[in-house]
Amino acid sequence: MNSSSSTSSIKTKLLSLLVSLLPLSIRIIFSRAPYIALAIGIAVIFWIIFNVFEQLLFFSPIWVFYLPEDAVIGFILTNITAILMGILVSMNVYVIKHSRLKISKSSFSGTSLSILSSICVSCSSIGFLLISTFGGLGIIVSNFLSIYQTPLRIISIGIMLFALYSIHKRITESCCVFDCNTTYDNKK
Amino acid sequence: MQQGQQQQRKQQEKLKRSNIVKNIASSSLSFVAIFYLAIIITIFSYSSSLTSSPHATNNYAYATTQQNKIGDLSLSTLIHQGSPYLGDSSAPITIIDFSDFQCYLCARYVKATEPLINQTYIQTGKVILIFKHLPNRGFDSMDAALAAQCTNDQGKFWQFHNMLYYNQKPIDSGWVSKDNLKKFASQIIGLNMQQFEVCFDTKKYKDFIESDLTLGSSFGFHDTPSFIIVNSKDGSNPEILEGAHPFPSFKAIIDKKLEERRNSS
Repeated sequence: MNSSSSTSSIKTKLLSLLVSLLPLSIRIIFSRAPYIALAIGIAVIFWIIFNVFEQLLFFSPIWVFYLPEDAVIGFILTNITAILMGILVSMNVYVIKHSRLKISKSSFSGTSLSILSSICVSCSSIGFLLISTFGGLGIIVSNFLSIYQTPLRIISIGIMLFALYSIHKRITESCCVFDCNTTYDNKK
Repeated sequence: MQQGQQQQRKQQEKLKRSNIVKNIASSSLSFVAIFYLAIIITIFSYSSSLTSSPHATNNYAYATTQQNKIGDLSLSTLIHQGSPYLGDSSAPITIIDFSDFQCYLCARYVKATEPLINQTYIQTGKVILIFKHLPNRGFDSMDAALAAQCTNDQGKFWQFHNMLYYNQKPIDSGWVSKDNLKKFASQIIGLNMQQFEVCFDTKKYKDFIESDLTLGSSFGFHDTPSFIIVNSKDGSNPEILEGAHPFPSFKAIIDKKLEERRNSS
């Protein structure tokens, strides 16, 4: 009896420790269910989009997903991108919805960067469609995108992380403006 | 009094500025939303093109119409035309594979899916694989196709085919330059290099490959690899698969065709 209660208390402590390790902005936003749902929704949509374009996910003649060896790195990168997209969109929505928050340059740059990086990632995935559209020029563009697909994705993940940092900074700064002396945890 | 007014003005200016930035931010968010929407529409139109247009899987009507325009897709005709094939010529089902040696998705198919098809259906005499050239990925693709077709003259096509796909490098990076293609060919044991070089240098199979390209285009294939799965005897009941589909996709179609054959006989 005692051992089970002590195990559960350790688990609770570990969980609270893990939660406390998360950045403050994440804890603020994702303590609300609609933002969690939005982030999951966007991440799932992008996961499907990326994997359909990467020809890992097929809906016809049967629903099938497979992961061949050559696609593992790309798959990991697109998963990271999809998750980051979900978090970023959710955070952007939060920032814009809470009009009381002061919108600074950093949050604007965060939004713009997330747009840029999403375009960058999508282009690298749909490059093959360019061939049929733009002929010879399409071949050159598509070749560039397919050759540099992995570096482009890494760059876009970097941009997204920077955007995430910008939005995080912006949200935590605004908390400080309204309530400098109390931390979010204390408020809770 | 004046200080109060100044503070009010400052606050108003601040409010204006923050409104402007908010507008920009919300419009950029709308842009993100539009961008996502565009991607989703593209996906849907792309997948609907896969299910309802020339590239359709199971689009029997379209494939049959095209087949009627183009002519015979029967195994005997395809072999007679000189297309490379793998398997027993008495196999009831034919897979026609339209590929480019520079396409990385074709290499994925060759490494991940083709061995399973080979082991499950080709070795057991149920399916025969026909190769058709669709060299549209890069500028060097045509030379690779010409060289491969020349190796077919000496019965070495599949060795050359596997050699190219397992040594594939980025598109148009020079890995299938004329010299490199000759080097690849020279590594095939038993290939007469003199005969190969005459065939390759004179572009003996240029017209043949262009006719393959025309055939692929007539089916609306712009993506490689693309496949048509037909009954070997008369090339009837065509089913189209576009893209580097995994083994279960092929299995679903082939098993269905074999079942239909069993039921009809």
